[in-house]
Amino acid sequence: MTNTIIQFNNVTKQYDNDPVVLDNVSFEIERGKFYTLLGPSGCGKTTILRLIAGFTEATSGEIYFDDKKINDIPANKRQVNTVFQDYALFPHLNVFENVAFGLRIKKMKNKEVEAKVKEALSFVNLLGYEQREIRDMSGGQRQRVAIARAIVNEPEVILLDEPLSALDLKLRYQMQGELRDLQRRLGITFIFVTHDQEEALAMSDEIFVLNKGKIQQSGTPIDIYDEPINRFVADFIGESNIVKGTMIEDFLVEFGGKRFECVDQGMNPNEPIEIVIRPEDLEITSFDSGMLKIEVTSQLFRGVHYEITGIDHDGNEWLVHSTKKAKVGDKIGLHFNPEAIHVMRFNETEEDFDRRLESYSEGEADGE
Amino acid sequence: MENKVTRNLYMIPYALWIIFFVIAPILLVVYYSFLDIEGNFSLVNYQNFFTSTYLQMTLSSFWYAFLITAISLLVAYPTALFLTRTKHKQLWLLLIIVPSWINLLLKAYAFIGIFGTYGAANNFLEFLGIGSQQILFTDFSFVFVSVYIFIPFMILPIFNALESLNPTLLDAANDLGASKWTTFRRVVFPLTIDGVKSGCQVVFIPALSLFMLTRLIAGNRVITLGTAIEQHFLVTQDWGMGSTIAVFLIIIMFVIISLTGIRKRGA
Ligand SMILES: Nc1ncnc2c1ncn2[C@@H]1O[C@H](COP(=O)(O)OP(=O)(O)O)[C@@H](O)[C@H]1O
Ligand SMILES: [Mg+2]
Repeated sequence: MTNTIIQFNNVTKQYDNDPVVLDNVSFEIERGKFYTLLGPSGCGKTTILRLIAGFTEATSGEIYFDDKKINDIPANKRQVNTVFQDYALFPHLNVFENVAFGLRIKKMKNKEVEAKVKEALSFVNLLGYEQREIRDMSGGQRQRVAIARAIVNEPEVILLDEPLSALDLKLRYQMQGELRDLQRRLGITFIFVTHDQEEALAMSDEIFVLNKGKIQQSGTPIDIYDEPINRFVADFIGESNIVKGTMIEDFLVEFGGKRFECVDQGMNPNEPIEIVIRPEDLEITSFDSGMLKIEVTSQLFRGVHYEITGIDHDGNEWLVHSTKKAKVGDKIGLHFNPEAIHVMRFNETEEDFDRRLESYSEGEADGE
Repeated sequence: MENKVTRNLYMIPYALWIIFFVIAPILLVVYYSFLDIEGNFSLVNYQNFFTSTYLQMTLSSFWYAFLITAISLLVAYPTALFLTRTKHKQLWLLLIIVPSWINLLLKAYAFIGIFGTYGAANNFLEFLGIGSQQILFTDFSFVFVSVYIFIPFMILPIFNALESLNPTLLDAANDLGASKWTTFRRVVFPLTIDGVKSGCQVVFIPALSLFMLTRLIAGNRVITLGTAIEQHFLVTQDWGMGSTIAVFLIIIMFVIISLTGIRKRGA
């Protein structure tokens, strides 16, 4: 038995003559991990879940589950369960019967049903709510019922479509932790959909960043945050400074009218590129000793840090997160390490990108 | 207190309507039901109602209303289900609703033509080699035409109930292992039961008191409570007995409405 549980092979999805929703998507999902599909609204996240669950058919390409092609297997015969965005709890059934729905269909004995439902409800901290009607449950509680209804069937994979988006911020943070914890305890695969990059970074073993029906980049949260493949990913995952530049030669990059030492290599001499520097990697120093010199245009207090924006003499805008304060109109210098610069080539494929990064160093081993 | 004044103004037409067209007629009907044929106050009409003639009539009214409702439901539910899945559903729905705007009598006369000895239906039977049949003035034609007339009123509430069903619930049931049929039994039907109930109400109650069709299509072979009321008021001029039957009809209607009472469910 391989460790791969779900595999997409060149899957394309198109409705009638609309533009393609999923464009030749291929990926593999491994057993027992927490995956996140991350991307802006309309990029095809729900469509991927619906293809896995079997609610819709691929226009072309193959979908494998446990090494068996499942393109033609109906949804009710698949070993996956879904937690829907609007929860989709049955309003005419109480909490117990909602959770028991799948077991009843399997014609399980009453005693067994009762034991399993209780177990599932205790997993989501809802013991004692069995007889409640759905309309008497709060948003967070409905969420838990929906999760219990999925896990009670002991599926190998659970699909969660933006399950936290309807909750308020505090509850959302709490549920993020609980979901992650639940996945670890159950040891099954979670495929979680969100458009919230912070949520994705906090919860996932592995993230797929999607845009316009294509997977832009996949990797661990740290990989994706530190080494975004292109402008879209860099922009979407957290705040960043993205500036056009030139790769003069290996380990030497030019931007903002200056040359800087960096850790990137393997590009053509004088190749036009874009560089990314995360705002927390920029340090404020005196104007004279700064590697970059900017004039502060705004400052916001964010609680943990100040968010300072400034403009260099080339007109590039720089965002800095710093515990030091500045004043609007101040001229300040910025300092950063060679590692803080991340170079992105234009139109690089994910394979080429991965190969390039691997060639840099063998020191950075995989976290898992 | 501008608001209160305007609200009271708006209430006037409603109040007048209720007083003149609901309360007053009911009081009159109740009053007449206590008058015998000579116009004296008595309970004789109520005694008469509990004789076998009228009880049988009540029973047969119920039976036919039940048949009409059941057949309407059997046809209407799949139709409504089908309609919600078509592309131009509002258009198809309209096509089903439009005939209900045409006067009942006109439709009845049309069926006399179709079902008559030389009508289209018999021509067709001849063509099939089955031969001419007596269609008009049978139980069959009565139930058939009644169902035809009532079916839009059954389809509409069921269609609306199906339309307001969250389609994700079907995915959810499917996801949990339910086949199409199980999903229908356990999710779709229970969640549209309110539509079914109101459809049954708007068919069953008027069907109880149908009278025009009983004569035109059923040739007086079917005597319902409605027919009896008509006969007493227009033929025998026994307004008292007619009113008594009407009183029972009203009571029956209220009982049915409360039995099929619609409870609101969901969030
Ligand atoms: N049934 C459908 N018919 C036509 N287009 C659809 C249908 N379902 C989804 N789409 C389109 O597919 C695209 C991706 O949708 P979806 O997967 O729901 O995006 P996401 O979940 O990432 O917001 C959208 O542009 C949407 O309009
Ligand atoms: Mg979606």
